[in-house]
Formats: sequence, C-alpha cells, structure tokens
Amino acid sequence: MIEGILSITFMMQVLRMFTPYYLGASAANFSERGGVINIAIEGFMIISAFSYASITIFTGNPYSGLFGSVAVGILFSLLYSFFTIKLKINQIVIGVGFNLLMAGIAKFLMLMFFQSSSNTPSFTQVPVLPFLSSIPLVGDLTGDSIIIFALILVVLSQILIYKTKFGLRLRSVGENPEAAETLGIKVRIYKMWGTIICGFLASLGGIWLASNQNSFSDGMIAGRGYIAIAAMIIGKWKPVNIFFACLMFAFFESLEIVLQISGSGIPSQLIQMLPYLITILVLIGFVGKTKPPAADGVPY
Amino acid sequence: MSKNLKANILSISISLIATLFILFIFLFFVGRDPFFVMETMFTEVFGTGYGIGQALFKATPLIIVGCGLAFCFQASLFNIGAEGQLNLGVFGMSIVAYVFDDSLGLLVVPVAIICGFLLSAFWGLIPAYVKIKRGVSEVITTIMLNFISLALINYLLIEFLAVKSTVRTEKILDYVSIPQLSNYFEIFQGSSVNLTFIFAIILALVTHLIFYKTRFGYKLRAVGLNPKASKYLGINSDRMTVISFMIGAGITSLVGLNFVFGYKSYYEYGFSNNIGFTAIAVTLLAKNNPIGIIFTSLLFGVMDYGGLAVNTIVPKEIMLVFQALVILSILSFDRLVKIYYLKES
Repeated sequence: MIEGILSITFMMQVLRMFTPYYLGASAANFSERGGVINIAIEGFMIISAFSYASITIFTGNPYSGLFGSVAVGILFSLLYSFFTIKLKINQIVIGVGFNLLMAGIAKFLMLMFFQSSSNTPSFTQVPVLPFLSSIPLVGDLTGDSIIIFALILVVLSQILIYKTKFGLRLRSVGENPEAAETLGIKVRIYKMWGTIICGFLASLGGIWLASNQNSFSDGMIAGRGYIAIAAMIIGKWKPVNIFFACLMFAFFESLEIVLQISGSGIPSQLIQMLPYLITILVLIGFVGKTKPPAADGVPY
Repeated sequence: MSKNLKANILSISISLIATLFILFIFLFFVGRDPFFVMETMFTEVFGTGYGIGQALFKATPLIIVGCGLAFCFQASLFNIGAEGQLNLGVFGMSIVAYVFDDSLGLLVVPVAIICGFLLSAFWGLIPAYVKIKRGVSEVITTIMLNFISLALINYLLIEFLAVKSTVRTEKILDYVSIPQLSNYFEIFQGSSVNLTFIFAIILALVTHLIFYKTRFGYKLRAVGLNPKASKYLGINSDRMTVISFMIGAGITSLVGLNFVFGYKSYYEYGFSNNIGFTAIAVTLLAKNNPIGIIFTSLLFGVMDYGGLAVNTIVPKEIMLVFQALVILSILSFDRLVKIYYLKES
C-alpha cells in the first residue's frame, strides 16, 4: 500500500483529482470575494459536464463542446447574478434552487436526448498533442490543458485578487460595499464579474470531469461542488491556502481508490466521509478561526 | 383581507402561472404537447382513488419535513440538512423497532419514534452549536453533515446491519405497523397512503398553533425577524437557535412513520429520494406557514405521482425542473410584489 502511495501514478492521480476541486473552490472564492455566496457550484458543474458531453457527442467536436459548455455556465451565472444582485434575493435559497434546477435539467435532457437515466454514450477520445502526451497525465487535450490551467490558476488568482486594481475593487465590494460605492466603484458590476468568473471556472471543473470520463453520468459530480466550497472555507478564502486544502482532499480521494484496490479492510465510506468531517472540525475551530469577507452574502 | 395577505396570494398565484408557462414552453421545445401532458397527468391522478391515494402518500413526508423545516426557517435558520437528519432518525427508528419488536410488543412504536426523534434532534444540535460557539453559518455545516450522515449510515448498513446483498435493514414484525387508509376508505384501494397522512395534517395544525398562538412561537418568529431587537425584548436567541434546530430536525425523523411503519417495514438506503431538499421548496413556497405547507405539499405530491403517470410521454424528471422553477419564481415574484405592490425598497 505504501508503494502505491509513493508512486508517480498516485501523485498524478492526486493532481487529476485536485483539478475539479481547485476549479470549483476558486470559482466559489471569486464569487464570495465580491460578497456573493454561491452554494450551487455542484449544479454548475453538473450542467456544464452534461453540456460538454452532449454538445461534443452531437457535433463530434470537443472544442465546440468546450465553448458551448462554458457559454452555458456563464449564462447560468448571469441568471444567478440577476436573482442575487439585481433582485437581491437570499443567496442561499437561490443556490438551493439553482442546484435543483441544473441537476433536474441535466437529468431530464439526458433522458430526452439519449434515452438513458444513468449516462450519455461515451464520446471518442480527442487527439492528444505530441508534446503533452509525453507528460504522464493520461487523457485528452481538453482534459490535460484544464489540469495545467488549474495549476496556473493558483498563481493567477493570487495575482488577480491581491495585485490588480480589479482584485482590490472586488475585495472592497465584498468587504464593505458602502465604502466602495463612495469611492466611485460600481458595486453591482464588480459583484457580477465575480459571479461570471465563478460560472466560468465551475464549468471548467465540470468539463474536466466529463472529459476525463469521456461521458456524462448521473451522480458523477458526487458532491465535488460541495467539497470545493469546503476547501475554500478551510483555505480561508486565500488562493494558496485553498490550493493546499484541495490537494489534501484530492489526496484522500486518491487514497480511497488505492485502499479499495489493495483491499486493506478500511471501509471506503469512512474515507469518503473524511473531507466533510475535516471541514466540520475546522469549522468548530481545531485549525484556527475562519473569517469570510465581511459583507459575504449580504445583498447590496 | 390585509394587504400582506393579498400580496402573498398575488405572488404565489403569479409564480405558479409563470412556472406553468415556462414549463409549457420547455415541453414545447423538446417536442411534446404540453396540453396533452397536463391532461394525462390530471386524469391519471384525479381519475382514480388509487391516483389520489398515491398523491397523498407522496405528500405525507413533505408535510412532515416541511413542518420541521418551518421551525428552523421561522427563526431564520437555513437548515439545508433535513436530508441527513431524517435519514439518521429513520435509520435509528427502524433499528430500534427491529431489535425490540418481539420483546416490547406494540410499545415498540413509541419507543422507536422517540429514539429516532432524538437521533435527528442530535444531528440538528451540531450545526446549532457550531453556529452559536463559532459563528459559522448553519448552511455550510448542515451541507457537510448531510454527507457525513449518509456515509455513516451506508457504512453501518453494509458492514453490520443490512440484509445480505441489499441496502436495507431487516423487516420488522408484521403486526407493528400503521394501518392503511384503504382499510377505512374503500376508494384508496391499492395505494400506500396510511394513517400517517392524518397524523401529518394534525402535526401541521399543531405547528401552526405553536407558531401563531403561543409565547414560544412569538419568540421564535421575533428571533427570525430581528435577532438584535429580540435581544432587547429579553429573548435568548442562542437558546432559541438550539431549541428550534433540535425540534425542527427531530420532526423530520417522523417521516419514518410513513415509510417504515406505514409502508415497507424496514429502512432502505436512499428511501428519502431527496425529500429533505424538496421540502425546502415546499416550505419556502408556503412562506413557512404550516397550513400553507399542507397545500404546497399536496401540490408537489400531485406533481410527484403525476410525473410517474406521464413518464411514458415525457421523462418524469420534468417534475424536478418544475419544482426548481417553482422555487425560483416564487422567490422572484415575492420580491417584485414587495417592490411594486407593497412599495418596499
């Protein structure tokens, strides 16, 4: 079992599992930095994984799947900002509604398009670029480039949030919208940008999962959208800390697979529980206090 | 009629019409005749006593969980964790019932119910405690606790308690059961609706009295409306958080009456089929009013069974979309009515 964990394959597995977590957590973070809570990351991932799979199947072209699915994600995030920013409805409740809506639409359309309640047909493997295939990540081009993007995103979001005018304004909107307004910042526009980036990143997470599996199946997101939110909280809304939190969750998920294969006798349900249990323990305060942006979830 | 009541009726009716409208367009675009779908649904549900009975059977757990959630929502506590709470309670309930059904006789029913209630209440205590002590939003904790609860049950079932190669517990002895309504009303013949439905109605009425006619209910709503002001009224809002969370979570376990004692005689993993989330919609739609919850649950029950009835024409998953649309439209029209009719800012 120890060799199993120390191997390159295992590390690559961790990196692969890390990708959807980090994309989801980063998505939630951009939204919350602007003061908009989005607990519908799960739903965003479901709808974009489904749109990626179905558009790719119908057009035979993964790039139209990629762009189409990102467009769907952004469309839903615009709808989300209409409800939460324009109408100022409670963000949690809207989040619950969005999760139900997006999961429902995916299930319904899957039955309409593919006459199956469990999964879409699998789409053909997308060609792998020669220089990328030398890196030991198995998968297609879309999948591989998303993994690399997720790694770059750690640095990118750190810079974007802390070193740019946009990031400073986004944070000010999330911390103290009244003060931001008096400085001439268009609060609602920044909040909207936060949710749009959120929709974009979350849909990349969904796309990665579908492309990794070459299909969409019911329940494939399996609570990753929620774990992503947990990672954001444990990472205290800081891109680098979130990176480590996601890495930890990815480690446990990969460990679960190794344990299942090696038949170690440790029940997999207990390991499945770990990310959530850790989050609760962190929240109770074993790992220091977590503090969200001051105006998080408060409509403005 | 007060202006607020008028506004409520206005927003509920507009949103139902809007939802139906969107649903019709949606059905039209996927190439189904919306009128035919609706017609089939109504004749299937209301045409036979069996159909009505099944709709009532589907509505029963929603009424119960809705009342539980209303306890939390009235105090402005967003309990997203009903799914985990009710599963744990019903699981415990069925285990106790199975272990003691022989030794305790019919007394096992109240004992099992109390155990289930306490288990669920304990699961509700955790988010309340974390909220009070650490100021962490109950939304996050309840979501996490849902996963923990289900994984824990799954673990206990598969490792110790399930009947071999199934995900259900052992059957409880036959005589420990809640009578079917068809025993008293011939018309419901064949459907699974049982006395729990009557119990659920009574529960809703009692909850209504508690909310609007007792000091406790007054305090609960005061905390929900304005926690700071209620402090000056001498209300201990921390205490109210704990009490409402525990009672609310505890009530959700009572769906076990319908499923375990009234229907299957065992706990089955996944029996709840997201009742905990659907009930959020039911409760919101009713504006946390228990009498309203009866009606919204009946609506969702009809939709639920109606979905099955039209499954040959259009996938029953259309009802998931419908339920989500109901939530979103009630929330937005509520807001719009507040702005344009009640002239609030």
